[in-house]
Amino acid sequence: MRIKIINYALIFIFIFLIFGIFNLEFMQGKKFKDLSNKNCIRLIPQQGSRGKILDRLGNILVDNYLSYDVIILPKDKEDIDKALIELSGILGVSLNDLKDTFKKGFVAPLSPITVAENIDIKKVFTLEELKSDMGGVIIQPHPLRYYPYGRLACHVMGYLNEIDRWRLTKLADYGYKTKDVVGFGGVEEKYDYFLRQDEGGLSVEVDHKGRFMRVIGFKSPKNGKDLLLSLDLRIQKIVEDSLQDKKGSVILMDPYSGEILAMASSPDFDLSAFVKKTSQPSISRIFNNPEAPLINRAISSSYPAGSIFKLIVATAALETGKINLNTEFICKGSISIGKQEFSCWNTHNQQNLMQAIPHSCNVFFYRTGLLLGAQVIHDYAVKYAFARATAIDLPYETNGFIPSPLWRRVSKFKSWFDGDTANLAIGQGEVLVTPLQVARMMAVYANKGNLVTPYIVKTIDGKDVSRYQKKIIRLNIKESNLNYINQALRNTVLYPSGTASVLSDLAVSVAGKTGSAQVSGRQPHGWFVGFFPFEKPKFVICVFLENGGAGFYSCVIAKQIIKMMYDQGLID
Amino acid sequence: MIRTTHFRILIIAILISVMGILSIYSSNYQKEDKKWQLIYKRQIYWVILGLFFFFIMYNLNYRRLWDATYFLYLLSALLLLLVFILGAVRLGAQRWLRIAWFNFQPSEIVKLIVIIFLSRYFSAKSSSNVTLTLNNAGIFRAIILPFFFVAIPMVLIIEQPDLGSSAVVLFIFIAMLYISGVKLKYLTIIFLLSLLFLPILWHILRDYQKERLLVFLNPNIDPLGAGYTIIQSKIAIGSGGFLGKGWLSGTQGQLHFLPESHTDFIFATFTEEWGFLGAITLLILYYFLIKQGIRIAQKTSDNFARLLAFGISLMLATQVFINIAMTIGLAPVVGLPLPLMSYGGSSTLVTYISLGILANIDKQRTVF
Repeated sequence: MRIKIINYALIFIFIFLIFGIFNLEFMQGKKFKDLSNKNCIRLIPQQGSRGKILDRLGNILVDNYLSYDVIILPKDKEDIDKALIELSGILGVSLNDLKDTFKKGFVAPLSPITVAENIDIKKVFTLEELKSDMGGVIIQPHPLRYYPYGRLACHVMGYLNEIDRWRLTKLADYGYKTKDVVGFGGVEEKYDYFLRQDEGGLSVEVDHKGRFMRVIGFKSPKNGKDLLLSLDLRIQKIVEDSLQDKKGSVILMDPYSGEILAMASSPDFDLSAFVKKTSQPSISRIFNNPEAPLINRAISSSYPAGSIFKLIVATAALETGKINLNTEFICKGSISIGKQEFSCWNTHNQQNLMQAIPHSCNVFFYRTGLLLGAQVIHDYAVKYAFARATAIDLPYETNGFIPSPLWRRVSKFKSWFDGDTANLAIGQGEVLVTPLQVARMMAVYANKGNLVTPYIVKTIDGKDVSRYQKKIIRLNIKESNLNYINQALRNTVLYPSGTASVLSDLAVSVAGKTGSAQVSGRQPHGWFVGFFPFEKPKFVICVFLENGGAGFYSCVIAKQIIKMMYDQGLID
Repeated sequence: MIRTTHFRILIIAILISVMGILSIYSSNYQKEDKKWQLIYKRQIYWVILGLFFFFIMYNLNYRRLWDATYFLYLLSALLLLLVFILGAVRLGAQRWLRIAWFNFQPSEIVKLIVIIFLSRYFSAKSSSNVTLTLNNAGIFRAIILPFFFVAIPMVLIIEQPDLGSSAVVLFIFIAMLYISGVKLKYLTIIFLLSLLFLPILWHILRDYQKERLLVFLNPNIDPLGAGYTIIQSKIAIGSGGFLGKGWLSGTQGQLHFLPESHTDFIFATFTEEWGFLGAITLLILYYFLIKQGIRIAQKTSDNFARLLAFGISLMLATQVFINIAMTIGLAPVVGLPLPLMSYGGSSTLVTYISLGILANIDKQRTVF
């Protein structure tokens, strides 16, 4: 009897053991397999190079160079301490700093940790010789951004930085991970997906002390795709040299295609400050600068349009037949509308449209505006695609704003007065536009009636993408009316009394319009927008100076730019 | 001899030993140290020596053990005392006696001697008639007196400290009480008493033993310390899958994540590489081995031999159970080798000697 029980007990314990093993291997097998791999397999990521950024002629604007990082495969605390002490000797970094970086670099318990970045090539050689004595120390080449032209077109390019939480949540589905370096602003951000390199790496087997045993697999990293921009390096240089440190922006655009040939914004910032992690103070200086150098003033800020807006009013008036070329208004220096006195900047006496545009006569446009009515002006402005982003392939474009009586009533519960219409007619009041919108408006006159979509990236990895971006809308404006306004714009330069007469002695025939947008309590914003050569327009230019004084100063910069372009044979 | 039970025992033992040697080779061949790499060779020598002892015991009438019981008992007590005086301290415990070129672990042989002692004690016949004295013995003669004799070596083993071996000795004692027909009433009393002593036992335990017991309940309380081994062992077994990673390809053992991979935790090393299939095969071999022992016991008419055979079979069963249960995380970690598989001279020799005794019992029965 008792022997029988012993026999049963024996069978029972063996079944118990088999069940225990079964449980580990099959019920929980997957978990333990993963843990086993985690134990002994380390991934050492290897970065490919991020795509280069070229100008339209193939000059490299943004390049890469190889930097060397020191990476530790963690496991044994003692080993790591030993390695850190040795490293601190070789790298000349204090042990505490090194330990700090080590702690900060921690991502997951067993993933490799970067302790030093961008180390000197001589130290690389020293370390390569010594690393076999230091458990788990690896030297890894790592491509970093290099900017051969320094700050050139920094706003268009954008800088690189470690991904932030906001972007990470947005982009996690596209395979972005913490500590990824991504583009911030400019094409670096907009085209990050294409520029981005594919992370490859070695998977290596390590032993229980984290020491390298053998290579299990290798996935070669893939380089990012190169972008070819529509920017012309030569023009961009001229533009930035002319703008210098004046606050504002300059855009040069092909009026037919919408290709951006140059886009500058000032103040600018040092792109390479973001490459080296050691330059933390200079980064915070950029972020904390009250002048906001990171803002691309060509697209990301909107300003009152000022007299530039008179072109919209003029076009609307001609198109609707409210005025014709013979319509004349008398400017006595001011006009009273309602109870308010609206002034002109000069006393122009008798003015028709062909005179009022060159002279930028306010009174003429007050009267014209009142004839048209605010809603029509608003509608024409919207037709010219103001108050909405141009859809240029750059991030953080702002919409701008055009007020209307309806908007006023709906959102502010206020009435619209004739005085508001007068203000609207000269682009003051609540009108807000971006320099790029203004440039696009001018392109409509230069190309005789087509609204283009500006773009900056021509090809990705050699594949032409401009046809996806080239959306051209025919605006159905009578060609005769466009010709009138173009002639008036030319007159603005040609007339000795024209506001842009300073451009008349250029070898290139320029047409354009100035604007001085009043800002309460500060210098006005200066605008100049035009196109050249007049007979066969090839360039639209928009110069905007933030609080830069009257439009005259913008004309001076435009003149300088056009002259230098001509001198360098970039126009013909 | 070919078709006999004891021949089957020999074959199974050799099979298991070969599996053990393969796993020992696998767990150590990647170590830098030549000494470690060649450790499988030492195990081969041990097995050969073990076989030699097997044949000695096979040819030595087990009745001689009856005669030598008291001598053996005294010898075991002496050896255990010697461990205290001269013992080598390894892995935080004083379990080994250095004899010539090898470390001998007396607690291994003491288990066998306790079995011999108890077999003789319980098979004693009263001088007046031919029935076993035990049948009408009181609680003192049935339990307390033999417990006293078992307790002496047991306490010495606990103090080494070697919780595993003393647990095996205790278990053997209880199992042999049961087999030898001690009244269930007494067994129940023993059971209740030991329950009473459990809290006291807790205080006797050393800190690391308490830690191990706590870690057994939840290995994750100290994953890099006391819980490390059991976690790594479970990972090794769990990652083996049905067919295993293949011989010499187990990453847990090969890359030394698993401590004691060639001794106490050899089952994990083995299962990682040979998978569920290998583990089942090994367990079936153990089952048959123990089953043969019990069969021999059942067939034997001599009471001493019967108890001896039972004792040896149950000792093997206990060790296999405790060791494997601890490797798969179903028992607390106590230092206990897996018989025939684990590296170690003492364990290998004692196991072969025990099997030799079994074979001899079987042979004597056929002879008579």
